[in-house]
Amino acid sequence: MIYVAMFHWGWLLGALLLGFVAGWISVVQRGSVSRGTARWLTALMAVLAAAAVIRVVPGRAGYWLDLGLVMFALYLVGCTIGSWLRGWVISRHRATA
Amino acid sequence: MQRFFRWSTRWWPGVIFLVILWAFAAWSTTAPLEADLAAQSTAALKNIVLDKSQIEVDGRDVTFAANAFSEQERLKAVAAVQAVPGVRLVNDDTRLVAEAKPFVWTAERDVVRVTLGGSAPLPATKNKLLDAARADLKGVEVADQMNLARGAPDNFENAALVLLGQIGKLKTGKITLSDNKVSLTGMARDLGGREAIWDGLKNLPQGFSVTANDIEAPPYIFQAYKDPVAVTLTLSGNVPDEKVRAALVAAATRKFFSEKVVDKLTVSLGAPSGFAAAVVPALAALSRLSTGTLVVSDRELKLSGDALYEAAAVQIRAGLGKDFPHGWEYKPEISVKPAAAPVDATVCQQLFSDILGKGKIRFERNRATIDPDSAGLLDHLIETALRCPTANIEVAGHTDADGDDASNQTLSEKRAQAVVDYLVKAGLSADRFTAAGYGSTQPVASNDTDEGKAQNRRIEFLVR
Repeated sequence: MIYVAMFHWGWLLGALLLGFVAGWISVVQRGSVSRGTARWLTALMAVLAAAAVIRVVPGRAGYWLDLGLVMFALYLVGCTIGSWLRGWVISRHRATA
Repeated sequence: MQRFFRWSTRWWPGVIFLVILWAFAAWSTTAPLEADLAAQSTAALKNIVLDKSQIEVDGRDVTFAANAFSEQERLKAVAAVQAVPGVRLVNDDTRLVAEAKPFVWTAERDVVRVTLGGSAPLPATKNKLLDAARADLKGVEVADQMNLARGAPDNFENAALVLLGQIGKLKTGKITLSDNKVSLTGMARDLGGREAIWDGLKNLPQGFSVTANDIEAPPYIFQAYKDPVAVTLTLSGNVPDEKVRAALVAAATRKFFSEKVVDKLTVSLGAPSGFAAAVVPALAALSRLSTGTLVVSDRELKLSGDALYEAAAVQIRAGLGKDFPHGWEYKPEISVKPAAAPVDATVCQQLFSDILGKGKIRFERNRATIDPDSAGLLDHLIETALRCPTANIEVAGHTDADGDDASNQTLSEKRAQAVVDYLVKAGLSADRFTAAGYGSTQPVASNDTDEGKAQNRRIEFLVR
């Protein structure tokens, strides 16, 4: 994983920034996925993560899965930071207003 | 927290861009990643000896095929690839190199090339042997048909290097090392090559043995040609050493009383055993021929030419005496020289004087036994006696002045008689010859010098 991170740091940084932007926007955005869809997506990601951990997908597909999951994880991290930061900015703004 | 959860349900639109980013990343990084992992895996195997090592990378999975020379090395190689950072899975297609039983290695030489074949234990050994062959045989093509195999005997490399050292001494042939048994066939390049190879094989490491050495050498040739026109005896070809050379030249000088000995001999190794013991009596037989050639080829001795008279031909054909070494083959091709025209007594006397002027009948010291070296001279005397069948001949013995007169008288008489006996034995009529001894009473030179004494010790043929 460290090797993947070092080899693809540019792409991963991209995913992180993308996540940050998505998270930043999400605070003021309208429209969201339903609870059912969210569960279904979470289950899908869990299955994919499990497949990556037990290394069941061979060859290039396995590599692409690993890459996708790492990028997705960083995207989530970016989202979290972005949302939290936006939330913090807004709450501070309201407090001063 | 609830607020955070609500935000998270709105994160999905970015996923669309994430998927696009991921697709680009996958598309652009797969090939460089695979190349990088292949390079790192190959580098990780650098210090491990493997044959036919092959690395294929599919994503982060490495398919590793190789032949290892021991189980330990095989496991070490697989572990090294597994330890490469970034490698996810190793598909292990490694195997052990096949074991050869028996472990056979060959070096084959023909006129233009040397082919190394069979099995070698390690790539390094194989290269070392090829390098050694190229260094030993400059200008000769070295072909590599060696496979790699396990099961080589201890000290294989040293043994193979010793054997390679011998291949240069072969013109054609094959050296086979089967486990620790060596066998050789072929033809040595030079005379003595067979012996040189035997010597070289003594350097084989302990535990290795020669089971068959069928190396042949070019024939060992010695020739002697008696030329009656040039009055020479030409010795050519090979002799084993300077001592034998000197002995043969000395023997020839004694036996050929009128011919000049021309020495064109070369000292070469590889003479068959008993060489001198066979050649010396053959030279004696050649000295009895009017013209002839002696050719010695290995252990075969061919003597051809013309004997001076029939009885001599029979004797020469019969063999070369009891000292002729065992295992040698004697092939006489002796004809008899056509009888020369009869001459009268005066000419006969002249001919006797001529012959005895060139050489003397020799005897053992202080005895009346004729030296075998005088056989050629006696044959010429007999041939001359046959040309004047009616002449009566006195064989006169003389001594020098050393010793007392009575014993000199007796010795001269006995020696004259010995010569007469020899002539009679050769087929001449006993009635024609009388033996007379004169002791030291008729010197032809001074008895004060050794040279003079030698001249006084003589046998004379006087036609009466």
